[in-house]
Amino acid sequence: MENNELFQNLHTQFHESILLEETNHDIFTLVVEASSIKSVIAFLKDHENFIFLTDLCGIHYPDSDLELGVIYHLHNLVENKRVRIKTFVPKATPHLDSIVEIFSGANWMERETFDFYGIIFVGHPKLERILNVEYMNYHPMLKEYPLEDATRSDKDDAFFGR
Amino acid sequence: MKTINSEHHLDLTKKDEKVYSTLNLGPTHPATHGIFQNILTMNGETIVHAEQTIGYIHRAFEKIAERRPYYQITTLTDRLNYCSSPINNIGWHLAVEKLLGVETNKRIDYMRIIVMELARIADHLICNSVIGVDSGALTGFVYVFEQREKIYEIYEELCGARLTTNLGRVGGFERDFSVGAIRKIKELLVDLPKILHQFENLLMRNRIFMDRTIGVGSISSERALNYSFTGPCLRATGIDYDVRVQEPYCSYNDFDFVIPVGQHGDTYDRFCVRQTEIWESIKLITNALDNLPEGKFNVEVPAFYLPNKEDVYSKMEPLIGHFKMVMGEIDVPKKEIYKAVEGANGELGFYVVADGGRSPYRLHFRRPGFIYYQAYPEMITDSSLSDAILTMSSMNVIAGELDA
Repeated sequence: MENNELFQNLHTQFHESILLEETNHDIFTLVVEASSIKSVIAFLKDHENFIFLTDLCGIHYPDSDLELGVIYHLHNLVENKRVRIKTFVPKATPHLDSIVEIFSGANWMERETFDFYGIIFVGHPKLERILNVEYMNYHPMLKEYPLEDATRSDKDDAFFGR
Repeated sequence: MKTINSEHHLDLTKKDEKVYSTLNLGPTHPATHGIFQNILTMNGETIVHAEQTIGYIHRAFEKIAERRPYYQITTLTDRLNYCSSPINNIGWHLAVEKLLGVETNKRIDYMRIIVMELARIADHLICNSVIGVDSGALTGFVYVFEQREKIYEIYEELCGARLTTNLGRVGGFERDFSVGAIRKIKELLVDLPKILHQFENLLMRNRIFMDRTIGVGSISSERALNYSFTGPCLRATGIDYDVRVQEPYCSYNDFDFVIPVGQHGDTYDRFCVRQTEIWESIKLITNALDNLPEGKFNVEVPAFYLPNKEDVYSKMEPLIGHFKMVMGEIDVPKKEIYKAVEGANGELGFYVVADGGRSPYRLHFRRPGFIYYQAYPEMITDSSLSDAILTMSSMNVIAGELDA
């Protein structure tokens, strides 16, 4: 199946909430409105054979209006074809529908994304931190938390030579 | 660490008026080979419910990677699945090469296949021998670990390191296979099959081993797909998904090899799939070594491949180039890629968002172990504690890969 055909099928179903990404690198990429992400992924699974969720991860663009993004990689194992789906939410209301009901494997991937980016997956069975400690009060992968400069000199640490 | 009297245990205790006991397995339990905590709710000997805690060795690789130049990220990948670091290293190099649009020649591809298959053998040897240990058969473990040691000696010949190898470079290898390395690989190809036959004689048709593993920790192919399983754990359920075949990299399509599949997705099937994969890997290494084409061991990736050391000491331009590369002042094209390789545990993916700077804007590792370990409670419910331990070793959950 051609990419255009897939896009047309999705477009007839979901109209304006599906956009093609202009800079289409490597994998066929679609940008989906946050409100319809769950139905789009369910449609892809049920009608287009994208039965395998390869990956799910977050991304942060501080300069954009919709700051936080989630990127899904789906795999059509029947035709060996991948598709990448992006969706963006504002930082003030970072809510997205959880897809755990569709793919059980999304459970920890969504927890990881919540842990590192603070994106709230509505309908997730157990949205808790997974890799960081529970009492951490920020989301460390956001761009406002830069890594410590390796050349800083204001620290006095006799053991590690700084 | 989670405390063991959390809410749902009370709920479970109330249900059907039975008295359940709670067992805290881990975080540092000698039988779990790594730092995982599992809070088990037990009905006598049977597990009713399991709750996992992970993240004890989380090292923030994805965050660190957002600061590092591309070539320095190789050392982070070492520490993902540290039982087969070379696959991670080469996977990352392939991802950067895809980003830069670099084509490698056949010699590099074949050399990479040899190294990656050696790593796969080492990883599978650890996993399978530990399944033996956990079911009470220590002997096989001692035999195959000698062979694993020989593989580590080959790594030493190739790159100097043993566990965290940092093997290869973007664009190929830092040096050609030495005479000693080729000799050691050939010796391994003679010795390993003998030991493997002995190992299989000990376990494969052993009544006790079969009784302990058949039907233990099984999962259906539908559930495994739904949980995004990859690698031997998925293939044990009967689905022949292998990145080496689906999206061939490194000229894997030049070779003839079999993707073994199981039927029931249980511990025995996972054991057998891994065992057969070792034989296929031996075949691949033999073929690649016999047909190793002539050519250079690296391609020119001007901004990434360090110049010759003699040139750096004696000529100006290589010195400047060397300095710029080491300081990481090299911009990469603005691009987004996903590159997957077949790691020892499944599809190891690198999702790179490059914004044109010296380091990735976003790098996400698709770690197969992290994704399939979440099915563990479902796989061990209604089984006994000793079976749960076996199931965990047969899934080959590596803490480094789990926690990134």
